Amino acid sequence: MWAAFLGPVFAPDFLCRIPFRVLRARVLLLVASDVDALCACKILQALFQCDHVQYTLVPVSGWQELETAFLEHKDQFKYFVFINCGANVDLLEILQPEEDTYFFVCDSHRPINIVNVYNETQIKLLVKQDDDLDVPAYDDIFRDEEDEEEDSENESDGSEPSDKRRRFEESAMVMFDLAWIMSKDLNDMLWWAIVGLTDQWVQDKITQMKYVTDIGILQRHVSRHNHRNEDEENSLSIDCMRIAFEYDLRLALYQHWSLYESLCNTSYTSANLKLWSVQGQKRLQEFLADMGLPLKQVKQKFNSMDISLKENLREMIEESANKFGMRDLRVQTFSIHFGFKNKFLASDIVYATASLMESIEKEGPETTNFIKALDSLSRGNLDKLHQGLDLAKKQLRAIQQTVASCICTNLVISQGPFLYCSLMEGTPDVKLFSKPVSLCLLSKYLLKSFVCSTKNKRCKLLPLVMAAPMDVEQGTVIMVGIPPETESSDKKNFFGRAFEKAADSTNSRTLHNHFDMSIIELKTEDRSKFLDALISLLS
Amino acid sequence: MPVVHEHGERMKRFKNKGKDTATLRRQRVEVNIELRKAKKDEQILKRRSISIVSLEKSPSPEEKNVIVPLSLEEIVEAVNGSNTSLQLQATQATRRILSRQKDPPLNQIIELGIIPRLVEFLSRADNAALQFEAAWALTNIASGTSEHTRAVVEGGAIPAFISLLSSPHMHISEQSVWALGNIAGDGPLYRDALINCNVIPPLLALVSPVTPVGFLRNITWTLSNLCRNKNPHPPLEAVRQLLPVITCLLEHEDKDVVSDSCWAVSYLTDGSNDRIQIVVDTGILPRLVELMGSPEMIVMTPALRAIGNVVTGTDEQTQAAIDAGVLAVLPLLLRHTKPAIQKEAAWALSNIAAGPCQQIQQLITCGLLPPLVELLDKGDFKAQKEAVWAVANMTTGGTVEQVVELVRSGVLKPLLNLLLSKDSKTILVILDSISNLFLAAEKLGETERLCLLVEELDGLEKIEALQTHDNNMVYRAALNIIEKYFSGEETPDLQPGTDEDGLYNFSVEKRDFNF
Repeated sequence: MWAAFLGPVFAPDFLCRIPFRVLRARVLLLVASDVDALCACKILQALFQCDHVQYTLVPVSGWQELETAFLEHKDQFKYFVFINCGANVDLLEILQPEEDTYFFVCDSHRPINIVNVYNETQIKLLVKQDDDLDVPAYDDIFRDEEDEEEDSENESDGSEPSDKRRRFEESAMVMFDLAWIMSKDLNDMLWWAIVGLTDQWVQDKITQMKYVTDIGILQRHVSRHNHRNEDEENSLSIDCMRIAFEYDLRLALYQHWSLYESLCNTSYTSANLKLWSVQGQKRLQEFLADMGLPLKQVKQKFNSMDISLKENLREMIEESANKFGMRDLRVQTFSIHFGFKNKFLASDIVYATASLMESIEKEGPETTNFIKALDSLSRGNLDKLHQGLDLAKKQLRAIQQTVASCICTNLVISQGPFLYCSLMEGTPDVKLFSKPVSLCLLSKYLLKSFVCSTKNKRCKLLPLVMAAPMDVEQGTVIMVGIPPETESSDKKNFFGRAFEKAADSTNSRTLHNHFDMSIIELKTEDRSKFLDALISLLS
Repeated sequence: MPVVHEHGERMKRFKNKGKDTATLRRQRVEVNIELRKAKKDEQILKRRSISIVSLEKSPSPEEKNVIVPLSLEEIVEAVNGSNTSLQLQATQATRRILSRQKDPPLNQIIELGIIPRLVEFLSRADNAALQFEAAWALTNIASGTSEHTRAVVEGGAIPAFISLLSSPHMHISEQSVWALGNIAGDGPLYRDALINCNVIPPLLALVSPVTPVGFLRNITWTLSNLCRNKNPHPPLEAVRQLLPVITCLLEHEDKDVVSDSCWAVSYLTDGSNDRIQIVVDTGILPRLVELMGSPEMIVMTPALRAIGNVVTGTDEQTQAAIDAGVLAVLPLLLRHTKPAIQKEAAWALSNIAAGPCQQIQQLITCGLLPPLVELLDKGDFKAQKEAVWAVANMTTGGTVEQVVELVRSGVLKPLLNLLLSKDSKTILVILDSISNLFLAAEKLGETERLCLLVEELDGLEKIEALQTHDNNMVYRAALNIIEKYFSGEETPDLQPGTDEDGLYNFSVEKRDFNF
């Protein structure tokens, strides 16, 4: 979603001009609970701050909260920005806004409801279907019309210059100081764009092609922009931040873990080496031996590993990985440096932020997790970030153990048109998977591993439906459907409509509350009739 | 003859009136400037009232690092305190409040009494950030009304800003330029106060080939404000100091720099002939004429204004403008789509037409009559009024030949049509012009033809109608023409053949005088 806001920022002469106009009225930001949404939100906040746009931020985890938030605020606000929510339903039908209320929808959920596409008066979609890059410019949308008239008049007519001029916050003058401040902000914004993109990739929501293309676009801006900060003063300062393009290992959190732990808990390596089996564990030992890395060093915290070993580590691992059939162990990504000591890969931030957002440690009001996660994206909030990294490690371990146990106990069963796996109440860490993003991650990892483990060629091409206990007292389960794990997959998910139809035809008590329509909640008792309907629907 | 004598008197008066109108016209222009300024101010106010102010706190607490929201009490305390970092925070907060889009609370900030302290911060050479924030805050206070500017000046800001012009930090120096521009723009009093504090040398020293263009725009605008305002004009010595640099800036490639430089020249030429002479002596008239032809309105408008001012001067000064090529550019401007440009171009033309007949001849030779007639016929009314003056001046100062040329180019029809205008002044000028045309016709013995022509063009009924006009002078002038030329009898005054000029024997002239 980053392109929706940042695209227009990257005009060639950006530092010489402030691209955004002032939005006249207060804005309500409705932000979904996923990392990409948080990143887009951070970018928009920064832009609003530059422009002195007043806004209020309300986190929304689902449709019910969205409706409530709208009802609560509709009298005070005329402008609503939906971040990663709102595109895939008929907003006017659901929210019944007054005629002078305007919605700006920036949402990667698909398919977009056609009514939203064709409503040109009250709804502005900030992301065009199938092409995130070809978006209407923020400027076109948030520009002040009267301002525009004035400008054109001022430019074209030769009226006498004013005798006094106030310097506004967004002066068009080149001010080195200001430019430098802006450049810091811009680097933050770039970083959020990177993290948002990486989130989509980690969550497997976009194709490899789209990922690589966007990385390329961002890289150009990163290299142009981080060049500026290379003078000695900045590179030494403790709070300086520098973004760098990396061709790094896709091993989750490895620089904050041990290499061994990371290899075991990364979906890519774990699935390819089939680590849930005894043979898999043997293969891991062989893999490490091939690299010539002593086990003691590999199990050591990465930070404490011998420097000599770390020197050519990436190349060594890549070489051995190739022999073991893992040809994509290195990926294009970005890292961020805070001062000397702290370096993070974009995926580190994604895992940490997502874990903070779905933390099951109950503390404070509902929005605590959201705010924590949002804060962890700001530079200098290292304690929150480290907290997130710890949570992320727990989560990845839990996912890996759950995947292993599901495969070893044959919990993934073919239902004909799709694979199905249901986690039982009492399974270790099952509470973690009552949360949508975690459950989705688990499903993706499970499907990958299952595809590697099964010899049934037909099964390799099937999508997966996964269920986990949601609320024991209310007797509900959370269910998610994900597309098949094929190389050519366009990542489109058709389960949303299918779930709706299956629920309708069986009068199952379901709740379609998630912005991602392929995630639903349903009464445990209704599960079997719902599944039967789903099978016949998709057969 | 009493009639002739009266005519002579009228003509003389008219001539004088013509001279008077040069000043009159300038005043008209001034009124227009005032109006434009008022409109501009209104726009700025409008812009202020449109936009949005403060940031609401987002739920994330870390935003506080970026903005320091201080209450006014806290600001006063911190600014007057001795903690440097608090001083900076408070000054920054003040600057932020003052640079928000809508209704900056200038009075409230002034009432805090912190201006002297902010001025003090300007001299903290060890703390560039503080200097900069203070400079910006004071700039914005000085951008308000005269009262606001006065608060800044009385806080001692003038010498402080002037010495900051030489700050090693470019952004501080630039901010000071801006602040000084606001002070200079307040009026002649503070403008001259700045000049007396020797603002010009350090300001001019900032102009160099490597000055960034944004900075240069600011400098140019401030320089233009030092040239601005009358009663009194800036001291001649200051003008002499400023002009060489302004001349250089006129050659710059940036249109905003050029525009403000042109405005500066237009201010300097908007005065007595000795002030015009200083500008003419720099030799920039050809460049100004070139800029009059610019496609950029912001350049063309002030260049036209400046040249328009020059041709209000002496015949020699006007000749300098003609020699610079003004007559080649004016036809384009007379046909410009913007009424304001048409009007200013016609104004300039009318002043050239007020010159000696050699200059009128150049005007004819350069093809100015067709666009003038077009403008009279179809132009904006304000432009038509100026065009009427041009015609009147030509009929007054032109030779009989030149007047004949004017009539042949079709001036009569649109001129007579304009008798329907509601503006008595314009009607009077037209009636005077018509009288002058008849005088020329008399000299050529072609009064009858002219009478016929006026009748054919429905001019007679228009003139007759004016005999019932409310304005006494209009009524008398109309009556005078009717009695003299349309009373049914041949005018006894007419003495064909008495003309000394052999060229105008009737046979030749009948062809020539082919209305």
